[in-house]
Amino acid sequence: MKWLVGLAAGATLVSAWSLSSQAQAQTAPSCPVKIGGILPLTGSMGPVGKRISDSAQLAIKHINEGGGIKGCPVEFVLRDDQGQPTVGVDAAKYLVEVERVPALTGTVSSGVTLPILTSVSVPSKIPQISCCSTAATFTTLAQEGKTGGFFFRTLPTVKTQAYASAQIAAERGFKRVAMIYINTDFGTGMVKDFTRAFSKLGGQVLKTVPYNENQASYRAEVNTALAEKPDAVFFVAFPQDGATMTREWISLGGTQNLILNNSLRSPEYVKAVGARFLQSAYGMDNASVSSPYVEAFKKAFQAAYNASPDGPGIYNQYDATMILGLAMNVASELNGTAIRDAIRKLQDPNGTVVGTGPEEFKKAMALIKERKPIRYSGATGPVEFDANGDINGAALIWTVKGDQLATERTLTIEDMAQVFKKIDG
Amino acid sequence: MIGQAIADGFLTGAILALGAIGVSLGSQILKFANFSHSELLTWGAYLALTFTAFASAGVPIGPLSFGWPLLVAVIIAGLLTGMLAVIVDRLIFRRLRSKNANNLTMVFASFGIALVLRNLVLLLWGPEAQYYTSELQIAIEVLPNIRLLPDQAFVLGLTIVLVIALHAMLKYSRLGMSMRAMAESPSLSRVCGVKIETVVRWTWVFSGMLAAMAGIFMGLTVQLRPEMGFNILLAIFTAAILGGSGSLFGAVLGGLVVGLAENLSVLIIPASFKAAVPFMILILVLYFRPQGFLGVKEKR
Amino acid sequence: MGLVSYLVFFLIVVTIFGILTLGLNLQWGSTGVFNAGVVGFYAIGGYAFAILTAPARPELIGNLGLPWVVGIIGALAVSAVVAIFVGLATIKLRGDYLAIATFGIAVTIQLIALNWEGLTGGSLGLTSIPRPLSGIFTTPLSYNLFYLALTAGFCLLVYWALERVSRSPWGRALKAIREDEGAAIALGKNATSLRLQAFVLGSAVMGLSGALYVSFIGFISPFDFLPIITFQVWTMLIVGGSGNNKGALLGTLIVWGLWSASGTLISKIVPATYQTQGGAIQAILIGLVLVLTLLFRPRGLIGEEPVVSRHVT
Repeated sequence: MKWLVGLAAGATLVSAWSLSSQAQAQTAPSCPVKIGGILPLTGSMGPVGKRISDSAQLAIKHINEGGGIKGCPVEFVLRDDQGQPTVGVDAAKYLVEVERVPALTGTVSSGVTLPILTSVSVPSKIPQISCCSTAATFTTLAQEGKTGGFFFRTLPTVKTQAYASAQIAAERGFKRVAMIYINTDFGTGMVKDFTRAFSKLGGQVLKTVPYNENQASYRAEVNTALAEKPDAVFFVAFPQDGATMTREWISLGGTQNLILNNSLRSPEYVKAVGARFLQSAYGMDNASVSSPYVEAFKKAFQAAYNASPDGPGIYNQYDATMILGLAMNVASELNGTAIRDAIRKLQDPNGTVVGTGPEEFKKAMALIKERKPIRYSGATGPVEFDANGDINGAALIWTVKGDQLATERTLTIEDMAQVFKKIDG
Repeated sequence: MIGQAIADGFLTGAILALGAIGVSLGSQILKFANFSHSELLTWGAYLALTFTAFASAGVPIGPLSFGWPLLVAVIIAGLLTGMLAVIVDRLIFRRLRSKNANNLTMVFASFGIALVLRNLVLLLWGPEAQYYTSELQIAIEVLPNIRLLPDQAFVLGLTIVLVIALHAMLKYSRLGMSMRAMAESPSLSRVCGVKIETVVRWTWVFSGMLAAMAGIFMGLTVQLRPEMGFNILLAIFTAAILGGSGSLFGAVLGGLVVGLAENLSVLIIPASFKAAVPFMILILVLYFRPQGFLGVKEKR
Repeated sequence: MGLVSYLVFFLIVVTIFGILTLGLNLQWGSTGVFNAGVVGFYAIGGYAFAILTAPARPELIGNLGLPWVVGIIGALAVSAVVAIFVGLATIKLRGDYLAIATFGIAVTIQLIALNWEGLTGGSLGLTSIPRPLSGIFTTPLSYNLFYLALTAGFCLLVYWALERVSRSPWGRALKAIREDEGAAIALGKNATSLRLQAFVLGSAVMGLSGALYVSFIGFISPFDFLPIITFQVWTMLIVGGSGNNKGALLGTLIVWGLWSASGTLISKIVPATYQTQGGAIQAILIGLVLVLTLLFRPRGLIGEEPVVSRHVT
């Protein structure tokens, strides 16, 4: 009994100690400046979240090497949301109230990003940039004025991927496609947009089969889709389940004309399925336009982590973090509203272009000091938030050549605009 | 499509059956639902993986995707998992038993143990999915519109062999008889000279070995993940309950029913409700037959 | 100031979970009903509230935009009704069988929430659920203080009600069933009916908790209602002391505190590259706390208090 009380007391003491040391830090000079981060480091998105957090840490490193924020070093306070909304909201509350972060970046799953936004960020007037949440709900909320302009995301909604996939499917002559998709807002959104687009382009979506994650086998779902004998199958999934499904699909004799979503663009997926079965497959991802800044980021990531930044969210998280770093320097004070407004100042059409990496950050700092406008062009290309905090993007088509992932072509923002026009009118 | 669903149902059912038998065996001793049993599945699978990492899965035998090293690994992993089960019992369950802990305590202790075991796997082997071999088998069409992987046929065959062997052991061997006697009445068995502790230990070993095999088969035909055991935990329990506690063939039957139900249900209801199907069957069956298919009616 | 604000938020979550645990204590602690589907009723209360009070949208059947009070009452009523059906379906089951069945029901409820898009919004969930009196308390701190008063008020109300119930003849009959069903039946108590009543009442309380949670966050999705919550609530009850309402609340405070604090600790101590493993370590810690509690203090911190009629001095 005593030991358990002791344990509880100990935990409380540790929390109180760590919290009070924060309180002390507030009365002292305000260095280091904190940026809050919430990402799924454990749970089903764990592997994805971990790599995204690596990207955020790289950005923080570059910010610090480039001069920090208002002369202070930056501390990135990262919390795990474990894929659960309650834990994510608790973490956000903690970051905002106790660590007093003036801005935060997070998270991946829309189901966690949304409650954080509505119950913490918006009421506390703290800007939140998500690298990876794709639900259309955010756009709707912004349009209804419910986000106060505090929400931004550095990735286009699924519409870009879905429409681009439909375009390519039509080009490749597929007429009958089946879809197996993860039963979340991401998957549902992708299905809706793809079906709309593909039908408009003359194709037919025969069957859409939702699946829930973490099942022992997906044979039932695969059989349902197989029964329709489609020309091609579209998998909207994450690497682990996606690999299981693909393997079962192929071994049950399904077509090797696979359409894959961006999260399957991972070396582990290719390895798990076996590259030789993926030669006719193609997938979509949000593209970085080709630019020296994109290349610089790739190099820096490769150097820091000895791995190529392939995978969902990595480029986007780097930009989200860098944007916060720049905005917090531009802002007159380090409070949420000022930072929010400063974020929109980073896309000034008259501004000097600043890119990725510590040297570019230093350059930006000098410009900011002289009160000159800047325009950020990052790992995903030029970043321009619209009124709802969304961005448009280019799309890229990737394939597997030999046993490596390869990029086949890019659909630029202009190309995408044309596709949108063709489908939406 | 029905044919394929039935074939897949048998495969899933075989794996569930092995797990359910293990649960049934364990519940003879423990007299409660041991929710950490499914973690033995995971551990068995990963231990086998570690062995094949040293010696690769080997040159495939015939149409199968693996070679002799995996079979050896199965045996070694089975024994190690059996030992793990014994250790867990020693450390925790036996202590609780000696304190006459109530049912709830045991169940929750098993939850806690499951959490620890599962996350140890995560710590030691990492969260990514793994495979015994990178070979992807192409299914052979054995009957019109019914495709089977050679590995699946192997799993089915081996399961049948194991069940028969287990049944024979329980019925005819001394150890088997002691196990059955102990399940009926520990005190009476002790009076008849049965060494309770030995029987308990062997029951755990068998329970662990069966779990390990189920895990390895799962890893072979699907993939390895830290949550793999946990993901079929409820299905295994449903199978064990359906079959009725204490009945070996009941557990097998339960496993097959659950496996078939899961795979056939998608023909009728949306695939996204698949996970709920075993429970619906369970509730239905238990409403009319609270002791399960082949179980003995509980004497109160 | 920030610390206060965080504590207020923390306590709101504790009181909401506290109500949930109290409901479970009525079912298990008082009656011995092993309900492993706690999160299912939590979900039903939450969704009922959301569907009744959220503003209308063309693609949804529900979203009736009714007042907050109607939402709360609706949550209670719907949870109770569903509990009646569930209770009747599982009436003959005991112990582990009941646990698995109720677990399955919770899984089914979550799946329905995930798939019945027309009613529940499916995987997208329902947003813009109104929070009571949000126009009056405009700053986050003042609103949270108000909401804390609200949830603490409900929590105390439920606590008081359940304490009175357990000291009443009805409550004593429940305990009698738990201790020795045969004897209770011999004395003329309708065990089945009593057990069902306790189950329904407990589930209604759980539904209330769900409604309060959703009303606070303003958003609901099926991913809020995963089985891990059932596990957390049970741990709270066990650690605090099952059969004891004070214990239920204490357990909630401690377990949620540990869960939260361990997350903070790990994020501070563990270097960034090992954060993923940090989460695994947190889970192992919780598992160990649970097992050790059960080994050395199975009755929980407080353990059950003997309840005697208040008419006996």
